[in-house]
Amino acid sequence: MGTGISMDVETMATFPVSKPVPPRAAMRVTGKPESRENSVDRAAHGDVEAFEELYRENVSRVYLLCLRMCGDQSLAEELAQEAFIRAWQKLGSFRGDSAFSTWLHRVTVNVVLGDRRSTARREARIKPAGDDLPVDQSASEPFPGQALDLERSIAALPEGARKIFVLHDVEGYRHKEIARLIGVAEGTSKAQLHRARKLLRKALAS
Amino acid sequence: MSCHEWTNRIDDFLDGRLEAAEAEGLQVHIAGCPSCADEVASIRELRDLAAALPRSLEPPRDLWPGIEARVSATKVVRGRFGSRAVLAAAAAVVIVSSVVTAYFIGRSQAVMVTVEPPSVVESGPSEVLLASFEGLGVNNYLDTRTELLDALDARKHELSGETMEVVMDNLLLIDQAMDRIAEALGEDPENDFLMKQLAGAYRRQIDLLQRAVRMPAEV
Repeated sequence: MGTGISMDVETMATFPVSKPVPPRAAMRVTGKPESRENSVDRAAHGDVEAFEELYRENVSRVYLLCLRMCGDQSLAEELAQEAFIRAWQKLGSFRGDSAFSTWLHRVTVNVVLGDRRSTARREARIKPAGDDLPVDQSASEPFPGQALDLERSIAALPEGARKIFVLHDVEGYRHKEIARLIGVAEGTSKAQLHRARKLLRKALAS
Repeated sequence: MSCHEWTNRIDDFLDGRLEAAEAEGLQVHIAGCPSCADEVASIRELRDLAAALPRSLEPPRDLWPGIEARVSATKVVRGRFGSRAVLAAAAAVVIVSSVVTAYFIGRSQAVMVTVEPPSVVESGPSEVLLASFEGLGVNNYLDTRTELLDALDARKHELSGETMEVVMDNLLLIDQAMDRIAEALGEDPENDFLMKQLAGAYRRQIDLLQRAVRMPAEV
């Protein structure tokens, strides 16, 4: 059975019947609000330079989210680019009800999930070897010890378990929302999370 | 309750999804069961580690040039959505509804179905249309859909792969149509036509799920 139901996460922010749980990443927004609002406003009016400012501010978060969810470095680069392009195309529908980074986070999740749903040809390229994440870390420190082991183990998870684990345990989404986004029953989301946790604990213990 | 049964509830317990009485029961069990206590500690540790993972990582190369090339050639979508896009979304809902209806008629005569005329524009104000949900208010639409999806998931082994594929593919198509309508509503929240289309899409999706859940076993 293919994946089924989806609802654009970025549209959920303005959807009349849905109150999505704010992703954890959205709560950690840093930067200069006024400057960012200004950049968003200018970008929404077609200012590419302003959009580049938004890209520079957000690319590291977007890229890591893509990488964790897809488990492949080159695909993550493509998806991150696609997320920014989608954001540019949809900037006109961003109403400022949430932070730009929150909105962009949702756009990114949607791009990653949408890509997996619609383009089976990419599946063959996904190699959860676990080596993509750590390779780049030496210069920028952020994955010490256990975290690095966990990142590698996450990358090695089966695809379904990986994306649900990332959305639930890393990004803070709830099962109900994950089920809606991915197009599975809530019970399936719970079962995949259970499976992921079990596999990860086993991997980390070995 | 056996140790194995408690183990199956540890995820729910840690994620705060157990009822208070059940959570209390599990805590009592954990206090006397080192194996389950270890399980809880291990999952909790993993969860905490995951939540504390870094949030950012610079990509190995600058992705901006590729983005710039494409955004420079693409305009930001703003203002009112073009009527063509809205009509295309509405048409998608109608086409899906018709195809699905035909499919179910073909699959099983035992299923009572109603062929709805493929009307793009529904009559009457949107409030009337919303009220016609017969108890299915917009506010509980998502809950209803989730319940039906769970019911369908429970029955998936009784239905053929072909049926499941048709159902899920068409749910996706309706979702995509709803996304487009919702986007347009984001720009024009008072648009009565869009509200009607969205309400129609809600109704069609629930209808599709209800039919699928009621289908006789095929396998």
